[in-house]
Amino acid sequence: MNHLTTAQLSDFVHGELSPANDALAHAHLADCGVCRAEYDAEIALGEALRAAAASEELEFPSIVKAVVWERIREMPPSPMARLSAWLRPLVAVPVAAALLVGVWFASPYAPHGAHPTVDAAYYLEAHAAESGDSLLAEPAGATMLETSMEDGSGAVPATLAEAVDAVR
Amino acid sequence: MPFAKRIASAAFGAIALLAAAARPAHESPPPLDPTALLRASVDAPKTVSYVGQFETVRFSSSHAVATIVKVEHRSPEETRRWYVAPDALYGDYVIQRGTAVYEFDTKHDKVTVTHNPLLDDQVATADNFDRVLENYRAIDDGPGMIAEHPTDSVELVNKYTGERAIRVWLDAKTHLVLKKEAYHGNGAVASQTLFDDLRYTTSIPEAVFSTALPAGFSEQNGTELSMPSTDMDRTIKDAGFKPYTPKDLPQGFVLTSSAVDTVARPGTGSTSGSGGGVRTLHLLYSDGLRSISLFENSTGASADFGNLHPKTIRFSDHDASYVEEGPTTLITWNEHGLHFAMVGDLLLPELVAIGKSVVP
Repeated sequence: MNHLTTAQLSDFVHGELSPANDALAHAHLADCGVCRAEYDAEIALGEALRAAAASEELEFPSIVKAVVWERIREMPPSPMARLSAWLRPLVAVPVAAALLVGVWFASPYAPHGAHPTVDAAYYLEAHAAESGDSLLAEPAGATMLETSMEDGSGAVPATLAEAVDAVR
Repeated sequence: MPFAKRIASAAFGAIALLAAAARPAHESPPPLDPTALLRASVDAPKTVSYVGQFETVRFSSSHAVATIVKVEHRSPEETRRWYVAPDALYGDYVIQRGTAVYEFDTKHDKVTVTHNPLLDDQVATADNFDRVLENYRAIDDGPGMIAEHPTDSVELVNKYTGERAIRVWLDAKTHLVLKKEAYHGNGAVASQTLFDDLRYTTSIPEAVFSTALPAGFSEQNGTELSMPSTDMDRTIKDAGFKPYTPKDLPQGFVLTSSAVDTVARPGTGSTSGSGGGVRTLHLLYSDGLRSISLFENSTGASADFGNLHPKTIRFSDHDASYVEEGPTTLITWNEHGLHFAMVGDLLLPELVAIGKSVVP
């Protein structure tokens, strides 16, 4: 057999030769040092390309992922899917429980005390405090004062132009 | 080789050697190690004292909030920040001494005192810095000039997305951060802090950092934050209910700490306290630069937004309320008998995507 052509070698590497030609190429490579060297070079090149592609592979920015998932979740489910979703025990049981709870709270026997709440400022303040060692963090204490600033209507610049005016 | 040729060759060699030795004095200095610069900037406030003024602009999706602050800092850990603008904050000031933060509200004659053990937690700072290097690539961005001080600029690029997350300009001598820009995931500027005046000095009067209560002022306690734990099992036990955790976090984010706070009801003078409060689980996730807090309570206590004017958004078949505080977004919702609140330096769609994965 003559030496393998580049096309034959490439097809052999990618498993695209017919069974007969594949066997011939395999046998030839076992005996021919020249073609074996070509084959090794072809394999090495492929691996180098794959490694380079992997090293430069980047994940989609999180904002892109978020928007894609948003679109997927916004797609309306089929009527059958909607019906079967309602009949699933995972949904049906909580729905029944919620109805019972609703009936209980609507009844005169239910306690009607003040509903507890948590000041939203706590969430902002605790987050700012515990993420305070981040290089992105603002100076400690600033967040709380600036949050309280919003108590006065119009105290916070509503637009970028107003913010720039405030800086001037 | 003839003698004359040998002499010529030796002379040529000597000239070449002299030229090579002289070259570094005339060429630009070797490239700086951006990681070493960043590490030095973290430690800079512990070693330099200064007075100055900086302005900060914090951008949300459609608004911006700007402040101008005068600052006096005496190393290692005393700082006073005095608000010059906007008018609503004019005259208010914040004194930080170690782990204690005193906020002087001159409009309402009150001082709020907060203790945050994390402010002096060297281990957490070191861990966080390592996390930054795990998830971000530091790139030298060349020299510059801020407030008449030569600077070296470094930017941090997310290793997974290629997004630039932050750029800092460090004083070339002291490595103090003189300018900082943080960026949203879409590339927009999220916040910018910039010194427009800075003078290094050790002669700052002690009275500047006085925390004595001014005449007519009342004192109240701010959030008493417990030292966050990395022992998740213990925190869950303290919380008293089985929490949900997000399944879809941006790459590089890990659970870094957890805590259980007893949060006082609104109108009781502080945002946290003991007795009659709401036990709230706080899980903090971070990639070193950005962080996300997930709060959960099982008492049905929803968020009281006061005058923060929340907006409503619908996801996973329930309504949620959100506000944007500059680049920080707070979103709250009820699901599976728990009340959730999530805070992060992320855009609303990113935070909603994470919120959806909490109870998939």
